[in-house]
Amino acid sequence: MPSAKPNPKSRNHRVPTSVSSFTILPLTLPPLPALKSQPSTPHYLYIQPHDPKLPEPDTERSLFIANVPIDATEGAIRDLFADQLGGGRVERVVFEASVPSYAALNTNQADGTRGERRGKKRKRGVVSEDKVGVVEDAETALPRVWERGLCVSGSSAVVVFVDRASAKGAWVALRAAVKGGEEVVWRGEGGLGEKRYRNHHSLTFPPRATLQKSINAYLTAFTEAEAMRDRLRAKQRAVPDEDGFVTVVRGGRIGPARMEEAQAAKEKAEEKDKKRVAKDDFYRFQTREKKKEREMDLRRKFEEDRKKVQEMRERRGKVVVSGSFESF
Amino acid sequence: MAPPATKRRKLSHSDSSEDEDTAMSGSNNFAGNGSGESEPSSGDEDLMEEHGHYGDEDALGSEGEEGDAIEEDIPVAIKKRKTTGPESVAKLRKGIDDIPQDGVYTAEIYKSNLFKLQVDELLKQVKPRYGKKEVTNAMHALKSIIEQIPNREPQLVHDAEKSLLKSSKISTPFPYPRPPKDAKYKLEYEKPAGINVTGSYVLEIAAKHGDELSIDLVVTMPSSLFQEKDFLNYRYFYKRAYYLACIAAGIKDSKDHKLEIRFESLNGNSLQPILVVRPSKASIDAGGDLSASNFCINILLTPGEKVFSSEKLLPEKNCVRPKGSNDESSSRLVPTPFYNATLQADCSITAYLKVLHAASKQSDAYKDACILGRVWLRQRGFHGHVRKGGFGNFEWAAIMAILLRSSSGTGAPILSAGYSSYQLFKATIQFLATRDLTKIPFAFEAASIPLPKTEGMPYFFDGERSVNLLFKMTAWSYKMLRKEAKNTLKSLADSTFDQFDSTFILKVESPMYRYDSMLELPLTEFEQDTNHEDIRQTLPQICKKLYTTLTRGLGNRITSLSISLPEETGWQVSSSRPFEDRQGRILIGLETDPANSTRLVDHGPAAENKKEAASFRRFWGEKSELRRFKDGSILESLVWSQKDSSGTIVEQIIRHLVQRHFSAKVADSAKFLGDSFNRLITAGGLSGQSGTIPFLSLMTAFSTLEKDIRGLKNLPLQIRHILSADSQLRYSSIDPPFNASAQMKIPASIVVQFEGSGRWPDDLLAIQRTKIAFLLKLAELLSGENAQYITRVGLENTSQPSRNQSFLDIITPSGAAFRLRIHHDREAFLLDHQLKDKLLDGPTREATAHALAAYKRDFLRIPAHTQAMQTLCTRFTALSPAIRLTRKWFASHLLTSHFAPEFIELLVARSFLQPAPWTTPSCATTGFLRTLFWLSRWDWTHSPLIVDLANAESGADSMKADDVAAITTRFEAWRRIDRDLNRVVLFAASNLDPDGTTWTDRARPAKVVARRMTVLAQAAVSVLKDTELGLVAGTTGVVDFQPETLFAGPLSDYSFVLRIARPFTRFGRPKSDAKASNAMFKNLQLQMQSEDRDVETVGYAPVSLFVEELREVYGNTIIWFYDEEGGDVVAGLWNPMVTGKRGWKVRLGTSTVPVVGNSKPSKGNDDGGVDVMINKGGILNEITRLGGDLIEKTEVFDIQK
Repeated sequence: MPSAKPNPKSRNHRVPTSVSSFTILPLTLPPLPALKSQPSTPHYLYIQPHDPKLPEPDTERSLFIANVPIDATEGAIRDLFADQLGGGRVERVVFEASVPSYAALNTNQADGTRGERRGKKRKRGVVSEDKVGVVEDAETALPRVWERGLCVSGSSAVVVFVDRASAKGAWVALRAAVKGGEEVVWRGEGGLGEKRYRNHHSLTFPPRATLQKSINAYLTAFTEAEAMRDRLRAKQRAVPDEDGFVTVVRGGRIGPARMEEAQAAKEKAEEKDKKRVAKDDFYRFQTREKKKEREMDLRRKFEEDRKKVQEMRERRGKVVVSGSFESF
Repeated sequence: MAPPATKRRKLSHSDSSEDEDTAMSGSNNFAGNGSGESEPSSGDEDLMEEHGHYGDEDALGSEGEEGDAIEEDIPVAIKKRKTTGPESVAKLRKGIDDIPQDGVYTAEIYKSNLFKLQVDELLKQVKPRYGKKEVTNAMHALKSIIEQIPNREPQLVHDAEKSLLKSSKISTPFPYPRPPKDAKYKLEYEKPAGINVTGSYVLEIAAKHGDELSIDLVVTMPSSLFQEKDFLNYRYFYKRAYYLACIAAGIKDSKDHKLEIRFESLNGNSLQPILVVRPSKASIDAGGDLSASNFCINILLTPGEKVFSSEKLLPEKNCVRPKGSNDESSSRLVPTPFYNATLQADCSITAYLKVLHAASKQSDAYKDACILGRVWLRQRGFHGHVRKGGFGNFEWAAIMAILLRSSSGTGAPILSAGYSSYQLFKATIQFLATRDLTKIPFAFEAASIPLPKTEGMPYFFDGERSVNLLFKMTAWSYKMLRKEAKNTLKSLADSTFDQFDSTFILKVESPMYRYDSMLELPLTEFEQDTNHEDIRQTLPQICKKLYTTLTRGLGNRITSLSISLPEETGWQVSSSRPFEDRQGRILIGLETDPANSTRLVDHGPAAENKKEAASFRRFWGEKSELRRFKDGSILESLVWSQKDSSGTIVEQIIRHLVQRHFSAKVADSAKFLGDSFNRLITAGGLSGQSGTIPFLSLMTAFSTLEKDIRGLKNLPLQIRHILSADSQLRYSSIDPPFNASAQMKIPASIVVQFEGSGRWPDDLLAIQRTKIAFLLKLAELLSGENAQYITRVGLENTSQPSRNQSFLDIITPSGAAFRLRIHHDREAFLLDHQLKDKLLDGPTREATAHALAAYKRDFLRIPAHTQAMQTLCTRFTALSPAIRLTRKWFASHLLTSHFAPEFIELLVARSFLQPAPWTTPSCATTGFLRTLFWLSRWDWTHSPLIVDLANAESGADSMKADDVAAITTRFEAWRRIDRDLNRVVLFAASNLDPDGTTWTDRARPAKVVARRMTVLAQAAVSVLKDTELGLVAGTTGVVDFQPETLFAGPLSDYSFVLRIARPFTRFGRPKSDAKASNAMFKNLQLQMQSEDRDVETVGYAPVSLFVEELREVYGNTIIWFYDEEGGDVVAGLWNPMVTGKRGWKVRLGTSTVPVVGNSKPSKGNDDGGVDVMINKGGILNEITRLGGDLIEKTEVFDIQK
């Protein structure tokens, strides 16, 4: 393999090796038969030691990679460091944004943290009384429909090494590779193409038993949580707080119709109120005002129409449509 | 309360009229020639484009606005009116126009404010500038030239002709037949008795059309030239022709002329040659300003009034005696109404100018109404020319003028002088639409005059001038006129939608949109009549025969039939009148009735009815056979073939009749075009069946399934509804879903709603789980009931917990596949409730809003829409194929994924429900083309699409103007909120969906894509326009047009293209491969067949999944185009917004290449001057990697760009 930079554009300009505090690592991409006609272009990773605003315990032994390839996986990155960049051992990789976002399956969308925190988070939902949270875990969650996700183009990842030394070693090896212009090759984990979608298709239809089990587990948990909430409410109703007040909470009856009933009652009451008000053509001034209003209305409408026609006139002739996409 | 209509605005020409006085003071009589500039009417290009498709029509534009500006008379009259009207009144009038009061009340006088304002706008734009200097000068010059022409001595016909040819090289334009050699009478020229301007120019009722302005100049021939009996046997016309030739000679010989002259037939009437004078090219070049010199002057001739006895020229008289007979009293003489009327028309040119002028004095709005009439006629292709219907501007103006007057017998006039221009226009249209003048002739001051009854000939007889104004019309052109009038009347009665465009702006005559079928007959094949050397003379007979034969033969299969002939042009003054070009052809346009046009058997008269049966046999020839029918009757009948090879039934009938009544030669050379697009979609033809037939098997499967589900015993809850919610279940998927032999691949969505129950959990997530539980139960019960049902529960939207998460796929024994989802109305309430929570954070709120919109769309709108479309597709037979064709068009241009199918269906439904200016399309092709036409004109930034799907004839719950106003308000609100069109680009509302954004919210399509749609539609329309121009000009044949051209676009428009490997496209579904590979083992093959139903792959579309992932991964970096129905390419377009060079930062949302930037390192950001560019090569590699074996080849078109 040639050790020279495979970038065809290098004739025109030198590719920078670093930007800001990031080192730029070109990755040679595998040649593809379907893409023969194109000169191969490397993919560029921007890497620096992890430096978040709020340091975490793992920060010391982590590297931050921006612009990961879309087919990056934990395994692929582990291999990249193990085989080509100093052999540092990777403990885990946390991706920023993946597609499909099955991170969101079990966490709340509002929660913007990266990584897959499967089954750890309680559905926060909203602080609303009739919300019942069920802690989803491996048992209650719905079966996954994708084997693994993809990374959003241009997103980042945090690589956590087993210890500080590995992280340091990887960082040094990486800088050396960049400086020396060594060729680093990107090897994905495979499993793409039609296989991936066929797999998804069969995962979409989980076995009946698995599904049933998960549903049962979830609904049991849900019933429990509901019972717990009711108990809590009953308690709140019964026990005065330290100031001697009893909190007013909904309860007593269970059923989905409560809110609607309240609303219907409210509407009914409003209707009644309306009927009580005198008819609006009772007094002379009402008739007069109505007439005036109608006239104003007509006048306004006319003005609007006039404006519309004027706009139409102004627009015409301006409508220039050119060939194809150039007109974007 | 309402101010009288007379308070209408005097348009800007009042100033020019003031100036007339100066112009008039001279000896000339060119009214309206004042040097005063009328307001320059800046042409509206868009509008004019619509008007001016056939710019050269103006060449024939003299229109025969006969009439005469009698010396002093009219100018004085105009002056009087101006002076008698005190200035204050004029001011008041002007003032009124500016204050809203006027507008407030116009709704009663006009259709609506909007309509009135648009009419004003239109009038302003089409009125030409009167009184241009060039025109005035030219007319002065012309007049003096004519006045100086010396008299010519009387000479015998042939001597006269010869000497003229010799001296001035002018060929006398004698009408056919040429004067007999032995003619005794002499031809001579004497100074004219008068030269006057006439026609629309002087009456100020002209309208701009193209660039050329045409002015009619009438020369009154001295009565001394004529003898009492000159009206007989063309004698008058010979004298007239000679007189015209003398004028031509005079103009040609005059020294300082800068004019070009040509002969033309006035309105194609060969009896009336006229002289058309144009400024010569040389003079235009010298004069500089080209546009100002763009006019032509038509020199008409009149013998003056009362030269001949009008008694002798009544329609039922004969004025052309057969050879050898001079017996005037003979009653067997055939009437010559056309000849008589032509002569009378020549005599009454002056008289009509008086009438028209009187009308314009009588009613202020008359002139404007005339202009509206002109525009209306022009858009519908009507013209005073005999080949274009024989109903033009003059006929319109004269009819209106006469209807404004009260006839002695009939009492009150039909039009009132107080009407506004719109009212005059509408009432005239109403008169034309409702009164069948062929059955009940209209006679003005002519109660005692007997009118001959000719089949299909309309009579509007003006007794005072003793002319039938409609003498140039044919039976078919009159039918078309009435049809158009009826159509317009209907759309003017529509109070819901603004019909201004369809009344005045849209070009209705375009044959591609107007007719369902077209027939082309080359003139060469018709038998030459031995008596006539020029086929022109026999053409009227041929057309008449064609018309009567075809209308009788086609009966109620067609609703209209029009015949158009090649256009005629003028000829050089030095040559004789040219013969008809034999290369031309007769073009017949047909509008078919979908209910009848595909009938297989025609029933004739009963066998006992000998006389009629004989006539039937004579008409149909060997095709007619005697048949006995179930009810015992024995009838003459016709049976048509249903085979595809023999063409549609209409075509078969036409070919048979042409062969029988003309010749086999004609029939063989006839080219027929009918519903040419339907072959582009599977089973798209309507021959003998309704458009919904291909979907029958799926509908049956659905109703069986519905019955089976309802029949399940142990369901925990009762079922309230089972609704279909899929385009396959509303007859609108491009391909019919399945047939008996193949497994249906895309499951059709259906929605089930259970009865209400208090036992549902009150939590969004728990509801989703409960739904799954229900589905599992349902699957179990269904499979238990009938083991042949294959069921499986699937998951969807797994990353959006508040949306529907599960469905049940059901594959029926017949091979149909359904995807069932559960609708639970509590979801909407919970989502809504969650949205009202003020503490909700942004992303959750967004997700919730999204979920609510999806809920509404999937469970409420789609089922309602499906139901409505089902009804419409059964009501309009052509709707289903038209929708499928339109969806195919979107798909061929890779736009499917950007447009909801429901949106496309709305587009097509609009063409059927609001068909104005045409009538409801009756075949797929017209439905599709009209949809494209509308699409190409749709200004979606400024106007919403509103469709009234309930627009039934009954109008029970159809939309009202208020509903439309409410939708428009909502549309405007959206435009105010989202000025850059980032969220809602197209706004499409219907009575079922007043929100208007259900199908197009969240930039579906994005602005770029919507623009692409418009550009493509415009390209298609321009291709059609070219074809049409070719058709009209006779350069393209009806069958030359390839429908496929509209469905192909160059892939190079995109940045790159992924060619999909064959097995994953619709062209290479693996089925055939599987069979081939197993062919060696019989037992395996059998096994395969039983399992051939390959249910695994139902609903499996790997490429769609791939494109969906690409969309999510690349966000707005790349716009993707893919035909989701198994297209063989996926095209991508780099978003120009992100492809440029940018400064580096961590999150750019796209893969990048670092480059040495020229940007200086800014403070606090020591990026060492590194910029980034999008890494196109890297991204393409990623995409190709992800696609893997799905992609055969990645082609790049603009990597260098």
